[in-house]
This record gives sequence, C-alpha cells and structure tokens, in this order.
Amino acid sequence: MKILVCVKQVPDMESRFRPDADGVWYAETDLAFRVNEYDEYAIEQAVLLKEQLGGEPEITLLCVGPDRVVEAIKKGLAMGADRAVHVRDQASHLKDPFQIASIIAAYAKGEGFDLIFTGMQSLDRGSSQVGVGIAEMLGYPCATTVVGFEYADGTVTVKRELEGGVKGTVRLKTPALVTCQLGLNQPRYPTLPNIMKAKKKEVSVIPVEQLLQQDARLVMAQFRAPAKKGGGVVLEGDVADQVDRLIGILKDKTAVLR
Amino acid sequence: MAARIFKGAEFLITEPGKDEVFVPEDFSDEQRQIGATTEQFVTNEVIPAREEIEHQNFEKVVQLLRRCGELGLLMIDVPEEYGGLELDKATSMLAAEKISGSGSFSVAYAAHSGIGTLPLVYYGTEEQKARYLDKLTSGEWIAAYCLTEPDSGSDALGAKASATLSADGSHYLLNGTKQFTTNGSIADLYTVFAKVDKEYFTAFLVERTMEGVSVGPEEKKMGIKGSSTTQVILDDVKVPVANVLGEIGKGHKIAFNVLNIGRFKLGAAVTGSAKFALSDGVKYAVLRKQFGRTIASFGAIQEKLADMAAEIFASESLVYRLAGLIDNRLATIPKETPNYYDAYQKGIEEYAMECAIAKVFCSEMLAFVADQVVQIHGGYGFIQEYPAERYYRDERINRIFEGTNEINRLLIPGTLLTRALKGEIPLQREAMRALDSLTTPSFEELDDSIPFAAEKALLSGLKQLFLVVAGSAAQKYQAAIKDEQEVLMALADVVINVFAMESAVLRAEKILPRLSEAKRQAVTAAVRCFCFGANEKTASAARKAAFYSEEGDTLTILLGAVRRFTRYHAAGLLQDKRLLAQAVIEAEKYPF
Repeated sequence: MKILVCVKQVPDMESRFRPDADGVWYAETDLAFRVNEYDEYAIEQAVLLKEQLGGEPEITLLCVGPDRVVEAIKKGLAMGADRAVHVRDQASHLKDPFQIASIIAAYAKGEGFDLIFTGMQSLDRGSSQVGVGIAEMLGYPCATTVVGFEYADGTVTVKRELEGGVKGTVRLKTPALVTCQLGLNQPRYPTLPNIMKAKKKEVSVIPVEQLLQQDARLVMAQFRAPAKKGGGVVLEGDVADQVDRLIGILKDKTAVLR
Repeated sequence: MAARIFKGAEFLITEPGKDEVFVPEDFSDEQRQIGATTEQFVTNEVIPAREEIEHQNFEKVVQLLRRCGELGLLMIDVPEEYGGLELDKATSMLAAEKISGSGSFSVAYAAHSGIGTLPLVYYGTEEQKARYLDKLTSGEWIAAYCLTEPDSGSDALGAKASATLSADGSHYLLNGTKQFTTNGSIADLYTVFAKVDKEYFTAFLVERTMEGVSVGPEEKKMGIKGSSTTQVILDDVKVPVANVLGEIGKGHKIAFNVLNIGRFKLGAAVTGSAKFALSDGVKYAVLRKQFGRTIASFGAIQEKLADMAAEIFASESLVYRLAGLIDNRLATIPKETPNYYDAYQKGIEEYAMECAIAKVFCSEMLAFVADQVVQIHGGYGFIQEYPAERYYRDERINRIFEGTNEINRLLIPGTLLTRALKGEIPLQREAMRALDSLTTPSFEELDDSIPFAAEKALLSGLKQLFLVVAGSAAQKYQAAIKDEQEVLMALADVVINVFAMESAVLRAEKILPRLSEAKRQAVTAAVRCFCFGANEKTASAARKAAFYSEEGDTLTILLGAVRRFTRYHAAGLLQDKRLLAQAVIEAEKYPF
C-alpha cells in the first residue's frame, strides 16, 4: 500500500501578523513556523494505519513551499513517514488553492497512491479546497472533515463531522482521499531516536516549475489589518441623566428607536 | 575550517571571535525538534500533574520518568552501543532547559539522567553497563547519587560511610548514612560514595533491594517539594566487588567530574525556569490594572522586565557557549580511543572553571528573576494560588546544591591559579604585562564601525583589570592566597561577570545579521543593559578585592586601574531598557 500525506507549514497562530510589502499576504519577518495542526492529524492517521498493517504501507510526505518547510518535513519524517517530497516553491503563498491542488495532483498522478491524507484546511489560508481539489483531479472519491477512520480490505470507513454536531458515516473504496479534522486522533510527538533516524530518510526535491500547469483562478486583492474600532463611551453621573443620554444616542446613531 | 579549541579559562587572556562561540540560534532542525518534543511533553503531561507531584505523588513522578524513557529523554548522554543516542552537550542542555518548566519534576529528571546515570556511563565496566544502563535509559529503574552525609556537605571527602572487604574477598560491607539524596525514596540504583579502610574514597553501585539498604522519611523542604529527598541508610550492606564503580580510592574523580556536568546542566535548567517565570511575570503585568492603566505601562515595572530579559539573555548565551566549548573539544577525541571516557572526562574537566561560573551566574540570575516576578505580582506574589510564590521557593536550592555557590566561587580562582602554576595558561606573564601597561596611558579611540565596539573595549579592559588585581593578590599572598576566601570570592565575581558579558556580546554580534530590524534593536538593547549592570558589579568586586588585599601605593594603583578599566559610557540606557521592555511586553514572554 502506498500512502501520501500532504502537509503545509504555517505560522504559529499566536504570532503578531503584519501585511507584507505588497499588501497581499502577511510578512514573514519574526514569525515562527510549524506544521499545520490539521496536517498533524493526517500524519498521525497515516502512521496509525501503517502500524495497524504491520508496517507494510509506505508513507510519502509531500510539502509545497520555500526552503524553510524542510523543518516541517523533518517533523513528519520523525513522526513516522518513510520518505518525503519537497516541492520547492519560493512563492507558494501567491498560488491559489486550485494551483496548489494541481501541483500535488501532477505529482501524485503517476505514483499510484492508495490513500491520500490531507488536513481539513490550513490555519493561515483556511480555504479547505486543496484536499478536495486533489481528489477531483485524480478522480479519487473523497471524504472531508473526518473525525473517525477505519480501514479494512481496501475499504475506508470514516466518520464525518456535519453541521450542528451531527456525524455521518461514509464508506469509500481505495484509492481515496480524506481530509482530517480536529478530534480524529492525538498526534504523537516524535521521540528522540525517531528524530535522529529521520535524518537518514530520503527527501527528494522537485522544483515547482516541473509540476505547475495551471494558472491561478483566484488572486488575493488585498491583505490588511481590520480597521480599528472606535473606543466605547462610558456614561457616568446621575442615573436618570444617563438614561436620557442613552436614549439620545440610540435615537441619533442607531435605528433601534425609529 | 576546524574550530579553534579553547583551553579552559583561556578566554581571560585572549579575545575570542564571534564565530568561535556556539549560540542557541545555531541549533539544527533536529535539536530544535528535540526541544519541541521536550516542551510538548512538559506541557501536555507534566504540567497537568503538577499539583499531584507537589503533593508528593511519587508514583506519578516515576510514571513520568518512564514516559521520558519512551520518548528517549533519558538516553541523550548514553553511548550508542548501550542503546543511547550519545548526542552533544548542546542538545543535552536544551532538553534540560525545556524540562525545567515542570518544576520539581525537572529535579527528579536531572538527578536521574545526570548525576544518577552518568557515573555508570563514564566509569562503569562493560559488564556493569550491560547490567544496569538499559534499565536506566528506559526509566524501568530510577537512579540516585549519594555523596552528602549529615556531617559532610561541602567537605564531601570527609565522608564517614565505610566499606570493608569481606574475608573471602567477594564483597564489601557498606555502613553509613547519606543525606539529602534526590530521588531517595524512588530510586532503584544508588551510586554511593564510601571509604574503603577509612581511607580510600570509592564509588559503589548499590541496589535498593540489597539487604541493609533503607530509606529515611521524606525531608520537609522549602521548595521543590515534589522531588523526593531522603536519607539513604546503609546497615551492613553486602555489595559484591563487581559493583565497585571505577577504581578503589578514585571515587573523588567520579564525584567531582560528574558534578562538573551537573553544574553546567543546572545552569541550563535555571535558564529555562527563568524564562517561565518571566513569562508569568509579564503576562500578569499586562493584565493587572492600577491607576486606570496596566502596570506593564509603568516605567518601574518595565525596568524589571528589561533587566530580567537582559539577564536571561546573558545566562542563555553563557550556557550554550560553554556547551559549544565542551562539544568542540570532545569532538576531537576519536571514538575508538582506548579509555575513551578517560579522555572525555579530561575534556570536560578542562572547563571545570566555566562549569562553576555557569552554576553561580545562572542560579543567581534565577534568584533575581524569581524575586522580581514575585514583586511584579505585588500581594498576589505572596499567595500560593499564583505560580510566582512557587518559583520563589523552588529557586532557592539552586544556590545550594551541586556545590554551594561559595564552594563554586572559590573553585574559580582556585582552578585558575592551579592551572597557572602548572603552566597550562600563562597567567603570570599576562598579569606582569597588565601591571606594566598601567603606567602607559591609553588613548585608544573606539572604532564605531565595529558592532559592540564599546562593549568589546570594556571586556578587554576588564580582563586587564582582573589580571592586575589577581596578579597583585597572588604576589602578596603567594600560596597562602587559598586562605583569603573573601579576596578569592571577589576575584571570582570579576571572572563570572566577564565571561557572562563576553558570551552575551559575542552571541549578539554573531546573530545580528540574521535578525529583523526590530529584533536587532532588542538584542542590542539587551546587551547594553546587561553590560551596564554587570560592569557595575565587576567594578565593585574589583574594588573590594583591592581594599581587602592591599594598602598604600599599591592600593592607589589598583583603584586607579578599577577607574580606568571599568569606564563604560551607557548613553541611551533608559531608551534601551524601555525598548527591551516593549519587546518583552509584545511577546508576553522572554523575547529571544
């Protein structure tokens, strides 16, 4: 069995974000990067499946991005992936989800993966389109927002999280793709021996130009901080007076009393 | 290019370059990942159990130590042929730093993986390692180190525990009481120091289940309450001769060499604790409002935040610089060398002085930080519901164990003088040169194009000052200087501050080109704030040494030298502190 896990490296969400010089994405200055949380569920599920099948499946980890993503790749390898593909792209942040999906699909096409795991979405862009895009382009069935996963004899049974706390069960025949949601599993942290062993695992680098065949469908027009809200007004003094002033404000500035 | 291998204490008579120091920013992806795994383990598994641990649920402690075993955190310093990872000291220090946030648990961890396991790694026979090491790296067995006795603490070699060879030569009979044994009640294997025939100081591997081994009640401690500290009582314990560790009569080598690493590791651990404490301090300061604004907006609090960040920056720079020094030297020893660990021990012993510096400087840095964090919390800092109170209690022991700070201070000039007498470093020649140079006035202009030119000039001056003051004291007292402890401790303070300042300056100079403008400013501010404070302390220590040891004309000359060499123009100090405080407030933690 061949498994592909797609991961993205994203900034620590507790960072302070500032727009970049062109005003179309955030500036990377002083940001710390880590593996996208949802992609960690994807890696963990792939490794659990490998363990379930006695170590038979080969897990390939794929990451699109600039040189810095090597750290994310190494983490995935330390968690248990067998090999990795780094699609090197210094400007991956300017590509839209359709292009990213097409890049990954172009790589995966000839590889014959039985199962593809992706995160439900990335923490920074949050489009939730890459996973389904890849499935569509490869002609794989796809289940999204997966919170439960079972595999037996070429059939994947997943629990999906639906609106309003409702869960749905879906069965897919491999080859298939699933996008992983919070609650699916508890990602392991790599042990020290595995961190050191990961150093020896193969990482092949593919320049993005070799895989990119599509133009962007979406263009980021503007990326800016939300306008600052005006400060609140605190009414003080005699209560009757405060009530009068409040009514005045409501009449003048809102539609509540009209 | 092969790294220059510095001799121990050589920094005092040379000027190392920025590319000759290891800095935390040089960590590899693997080292950073090991740091991250350790951090996640502490956050997800230890911190939730902290209350339980503080209330002495030692089963929990043992269980978590086993988790450390699963994660590989107990095998960092263990050789590969015994299932270890044999990683460098920088990695070992990083793990120690990251685990420190767990409070008491980190003491159990350090005692097990450090002084508990290392004697066996360094001095054990093949057979002993095969028998015990696996159990220790997995956490199946817990280790402890028994040196101190009720009547011998700092005077460790004055131990009374005795070992007597049986008539048939098959075992030793051990008797005595060991005091303040960390992991005492949870350990399965004790490294016990005792005297054979009341004379030959020797280490023994003693199993908990050997007949006659018993453990005293838990000590009621001021801090680190969640670590086990007990007496270990030996009553006619039959220890097979196969369990003698190292050579008979060479136990002091084991005891002291393992303490070198222990002291150094303590430096790393307290650096981590200080980061946690600062983080709690600043988080409180940005929430707490008085007079209608957050207390973090007041200069009185900002100054504390800046000073803490600057001190931690220096501490961190010092610890990892020392890790680099040791790693570079150890890397030159071929693994296939017969008696590899003898050479390895010598490699570490080379930096015994720097290890003592790390112990003293870093533990006192944490004392300062913990105290300031309580102060920022005001009345709430005195209340147990807030973590500040625990930091304050837990901090205190660091200035006592692994050799009191007094013992470590005395070791600093002590080691230096011994090495100078042996001709290992040309201290006398340099001291004479420094004394001569006092009569020639200096007109050197600062070259502002060099980063940290003022700080570098200051450092080279302070090294001269040390040579002048130490040289004149050595001349006056000769060998009897060892009895002038007040003078020696003052001299130690000069050395400590010089090493810390130089570590901070070289690290900043090295990393500056990699940083964003904002970070560059903050790092520069940290270096300046730290150098101002450390220089004041150095000047005071040097003056004290001069007043203690000299009078008349020599005293006048020395005081002149103090004035001349401790000049540091700290214009913009207030802006620097405010800028650094702002960086702490923005990050809501240690910002580097």
